[in-house]
Amino acid sequence: MNKNWLLVFIAALFEVMWVIGLKHAQGVLGWAITLIAIIVSFGLLIYSGKKLPTSTVYAVFVGLGTAGTVTSEMVWWGEPFEWLKVGLIAVLLTGIIGLKLVTHETEETERGEGEAK
Amino acid sequence: MNWVILIVAGVFEMVGVIGITKVNQSPSVKSYLIMFGGFVLSFSFLSLAMKGISMGTAYAVWSGIGTVGSTLVGMYRYGEPKDARRLFFIAMIIGSVVGLKLIS
Repeated sequence: MNKNWLLVFIAALFEVMWVIGLKHAQGVLGWAITLIAIIVSFGLLIYSGKKLPTSTVYAVFVGLGTAGTVTSEMVWWGEPFEWLKVGLIAVLLTGIIGLKLVTHETEETERGEGEAK
Repeated sequence: MNWVILIVAGVFEMVGVIGITKVNQSPSVKSYLIMFGGFVLSFSFLSLAMKGISMGTAYAVWSGIGTVGSTLVGMYRYGEPKDARRLFFIAMIIGSVVGLKLIS
């Protein structure tokens, strides 16, 4: 069951890469990496929607992407550190873990079998 | 006017997410058009709206509309589960995403 969730997490990692890329990319190489990251993240997002409910996948994708971007901005790009941000990221991650826990037992297989392909 | 544009951007984000569902259900040219069209228009309107609304606010409202909207459409149109715990956790994610984008 974990393969699909792993793909969502990897998709979010690539999302963080391209969000940072859009802001900070310089030169042809930087933009090429940004473009590749956009393609990879959306490709993985679409693929993981095959087995998991799309809206669940999308919420996790957006959530992890935001958490990753805000964290990277604080760690590497000198955005101010604020406890409020850390607190919100903690709430966000709790939501994602919870969503993962309630999704995998109930819906994953059911939906997977529904699409005969 | 910027707010109308922003809401339109959020609605097109929903269209893009619906497109993902459609691509997975029946991968046809039409499905791919809905998906790509939705996201491309969504990003275009978002960047337009950002001319008049600050980036953090615009992003927060945009991702809020897109995720809430696609969750509702997924549940009512595509039979995705309406489990209360699922809604609770999605609300937690959306709430903190909107909060983070507003303060960042």
